[in-house]
Amino acid sequence: MAHSWWEIKVLGDPALEELIFWRLSQFGCRGTASQMQDRSCVVSAYLPQENAQALDLAALALWLRQDALSVTMPPPIAHWSLIDEEDWSSSWKEHWHPLEVGDRLLIYPAWLEVPTDSERLILRLDPGVAFGTGAHATTQLCLESLEMRLGLPGLEQSSATIADIGCGSGILSIAAALLGASQIYALDTDPLAIEATALNRELNGISEKQIHAEVGSLDRAIELAGGPVDGILCNILAEAIEEMVPRFEAISKSTTWGIISGVLLVQAKAMADVLEQNGWLVATLWKRQDWCCFNIRRNG
Amino acid sequence: MAKKVVALIKLAIPAGKANPAPPIGPALGQHGVNIMMFCKEYNARTADQAGTIVPVEISVYEDRSFTFVLKTPPASVLIQKAAGIDKGSGEPNKKIVGKITRAQLREIAQTKLPDLNANDVEAAMRIVEGTARNMGVKVSD
Repeated sequence: MAHSWWEIKVLGDPALEELIFWRLSQFGCRGTASQMQDRSCVVSAYLPQENAQALDLAALALWLRQDALSVTMPPPIAHWSLIDEEDWSSSWKEHWHPLEVGDRLLIYPAWLEVPTDSERLILRLDPGVAFGTGAHATTQLCLESLEMRLGLPGLEQSSATIADIGCGSGILSIAAALLGASQIYALDTDPLAIEATALNRELNGISEKQIHAEVGSLDRAIELAGGPVDGILCNILAEAIEEMVPRFEAISKSTTWGIISGVLLVQAKAMADVLEQNGWLVATLWKRQDWCCFNIRRNG
Repeated sequence: MAKKVVALIKLAIPAGKANPAPPIGPALGQHGVNIMMFCKEYNARTADQAGTIVPVEISVYEDRSFTFVLKTPPASVLIQKAAGIDKGSGEPNKKIVGKITRAQLREIAQTKLPDLNANDVEAAMRIVEGTARNMGVKVSD
């Protein structure tokens, strides 16, 4: 059964926005969204259905009214209704279309019929609520880097083992499998990401053995691999990667390579320093929009 | 030619923790914005402010691309910080949980001025003072 949320909409004078935010936060809403409507402001907030009853919401409306009156402002109008999670999670998918990435890959939404006439490797994907649709610059840079590492004629590493740390939707792990890697350890600290990776693995007809997906991070990858891997994929965020780099050695040999992204251009210098201090050579640095991707290998 | 903005959405959300759940999913999903892309960019730009609320104003264009600018934290967050309290009062009329000076109030109002619907710092101070009062935070002269 789909999860339901209370959607609370408060229409009021824009000067009340801060007060409304405060009251909604007190009520337990994590964050608000606001938009102007004519000369008024509509503040929307959400709460899991089980966290509030209709009576609680009526009390909230009174609090909002009292807050406004105490600062001599006209009271806002509050409405609430139940919405189904599917209502919004599927809406953006309608605008998500097949996407060619690099020279060989075609990212294909899971809900579309698979084409039979494409010469590209079709990577079917339903990201669910996990990160990684192929549309983000960092994902594209990683996919193109993977093509360079695994997919060029004469360079196929059919026996390559890979650790994908922060696998999200599993997009990089699946691309690695499609490009010939024989064993991928896909790890993410978010259980929803592992669910999405497992679903996408199945969608692409890849075995559980070829892509082993599990909740965890680098430490679990080290345990699972039981030795060095050929490649490390890590497309998360700079801070998290910098913390992990000193422990990459535990999963590396002299020929191990890495594809590191999720790094903003302004963070590139600091990331390069951390990599070099830990025995990695930056072979190439690719840039797209505000982001960059490091292709690294062991130094010496 | 500049792209046409079809929606201007402001989100007040915890820094570094954006995900597709509400309020982000419903707010951006209805405009066809790639939610994961927004979350990743927002988290990257706010990771160093984890633990606070960093509002963001998102411009959505007709081709469903977007840009965003980060805004100042909500007045209530700045008031809590200035008063040295973790949360406001459940009964502000009866229970005062902290206090800030008028100078601190002015400083918060000046910080918030670019993002508030106020013409000058005095008007911004009135808005911030109203928020403080409703939080059970007293403004002392």
